[in-house]
Amino acid sequence: MFDTIISFLIFGTIQGSIYALLAMGFSLVYGVGGILNQAHGAFYVITAYIFYSCYINIPQFGYVIGIIISLIATTIVGGLVYLLLIKPLKESHVGVVIVTFAFAFFIERFVSIAVDSIYHNMPYLIVGYFTIFGVNIQYQYIIILIVSLLLLALISLFINKLKIGKSIRAVAQDPEAASLMGINVDKILAYTLMISAFLASMAAILYVPVETVAPHIGWSVLLNSFSIVVLGGLGSLPGSVIGAFIIAYSRAFTNYFLDPVFSALIPIIVIVAMLVLRPRGLFGKKEIK
Amino acid sequence: MKINYEFSDFKIYMRDWIGTFRGKLTVLCLIGLILIPLTGNEYIIGIFNTFMIFTIFAASWDFLAGFVGQVSFGHAIFLGIAGYTTAFTIRFLNFPWWLALVLGAVIAVLFGLIIGVPALRLKGPYLALGTLAMSLILYQLFLMGSLAILWENTFPGTIMFGTDGIGQIPPISQEAGISYLVIFLIMVTSLIVLTHLAKSKLGTIFKSIRDDETGAKASGINTTKYKILAFMISGFFAGIAGGLYTIRLTGVNPGSFQALYSFYAIIMASVGGIATISGSALGAFIFVFLGEILRLLGDNPSISDLLGGFTEPIFIFSVILILIIRFAEHGLLKPVLEHLQDLWDLLLGR
Repeated sequence: MFDTIISFLIFGTIQGSIYALLAMGFSLVYGVGGILNQAHGAFYVITAYIFYSCYINIPQFGYVIGIIISLIATTIVGGLVYLLLIKPLKESHVGVVIVTFAFAFFIERFVSIAVDSIYHNMPYLIVGYFTIFGVNIQYQYIIILIVSLLLLALISLFINKLKIGKSIRAVAQDPEAASLMGINVDKILAYTLMISAFLASMAAILYVPVETVAPHIGWSVLLNSFSIVVLGGLGSLPGSVIGAFIIAYSRAFTNYFLDPVFSALIPIIVIVAMLVLRPRGLFGKKEIK
Repeated sequence: MKINYEFSDFKIYMRDWIGTFRGKLTVLCLIGLILIPLTGNEYIIGIFNTFMIFTIFAASWDFLAGFVGQVSFGHAIFLGIAGYTTAFTIRFLNFPWWLALVLGAVIAVLFGLIIGVPALRLKGPYLALGTLAMSLILYQLFLMGSLAILWENTFPGTIMFGTDGIGQIPPISQEAGISYLVIFLIMVTSLIVLTHLAKSKLGTIFKSIRDDETGAKASGINTTKYKILAFMISGFFAGIAGGLYTIRLTGVNPGSFQALYSFYAIIMASVGGIATISGSALGAFIFVFLGEILRLLGDNPSISDLLGGFTEPIFIFSVILILIIRFAEHGLLKPVLEHLQDLWDLLLGR
């Protein structure tokens, strides 16, 4: 019993930090540009497949080269998605959601044709584990925890302290006033999308070895990000981090102590409950209409 | 919200409508459609059945997105729930097909309301992602083996969950032609009802919500009530399509809940043109027939060697959808009609 509790805590923490990376990017894009990016999971899939192909095809250094190439490529794709797909359609909200939804399908199909559509496993970055209270903890878990917490800290520093971070916050507050102050709103939004893609990409690099590589994994990324963001408040960054850990722990709890059926139901229960009880989320700002 | 309709009005309306180019073209297309079973070719009849069912499905999505401005990314919920209800009641409770169809659509609507009501109370993207989330979760649930075992133990002899779904659903009629005509009539009725709802007073309220929700609210319209009503109407027709699709495929499986089917509805409606109910027919036509051609191309070894699997229909359609939304947001129906009319005038020497 005791070791079940320990492994529940460990797994919940790992998953929470990955969810936090994913949800933060998703929330940032919505908060800054009001853009509902349905292709958020696609960034995860792109990274997973570039990473996997590099690892398979390049001998010896494939793993490291895969990490570098997939991070750069996904970040660039994030910028391109904004410039080519979202920016021309910014006037129509329906257009943006449809085109990013179509892009998610495009990526899913593209990887399943170009690579294949079966499950693949990736090895851990550092193979090995140590034992605490009779529970084996992989070194990969420690890496995930450290890297993602570091990233979250860096991103919040970036947004709060740096000049470009200030511009991002300015655009989030009022795009028109920001552009009057000489901020290039389109550039800022493109950067935001790139940051979001980078975070999703980091999450994929860290988490893909624990889970699997398959074309459809992007959908669960989108599903979890959405439920976290509804829980934490659309556009609120601290909300999405806290929401990520709440969702992760509750999914891990149901997985370990109840039935996986309930674990699959958690996102929808959270979404419906939050929409009924507190639509702005735990930390969302009250909108004035 | 009462729809006043006098029969004499209807006769005058029909006469004017037949007189227009659009009316003539529609009647011509319908006559063409009704003659399809005479070919006696099962393959062709089957494709046209799919086309008509998808037309209803796409039109139901278009009604919600185009006229009320509420985008659902989980129309597969209705397809799946209605499909399962129809299959279950026909196979295990021996319901006649029409009762199963209506019951399926009603239950699908009730299911959709679980997410629809809380999401539609709010402005913003909640419906889009809420419905998508719901369909993804239903897909996982219906796949689950533990639920399948639980269901079989509770209700012995029946199937609900599990990867195989429910099979062995009999067709509407042993005569392929009669099944075809039934689907044809349901499609025509659905399109007429949806078009007229969009044109009625109710439709005006819907459009006011689409164009300016705050303004509509300020004019004393209970926007939540009307949005939910539109969601129910849309869900009902999507449910009818889901039931018919299940009967057409002689079974249903968890795949019906995939985001893929919601994507189908969006492709067909967008290709035809959003906010033109009849555009869905054009969209579904292009979707079904281009899909069939692409499948045949993919089966051809020399072409699949050359293109390496990139003829896969969904891949091509995602590209088409991106291009259509990006460069021709209003779809193909209006430009196609204009060009046809120009051609028609040219032929008549006007």
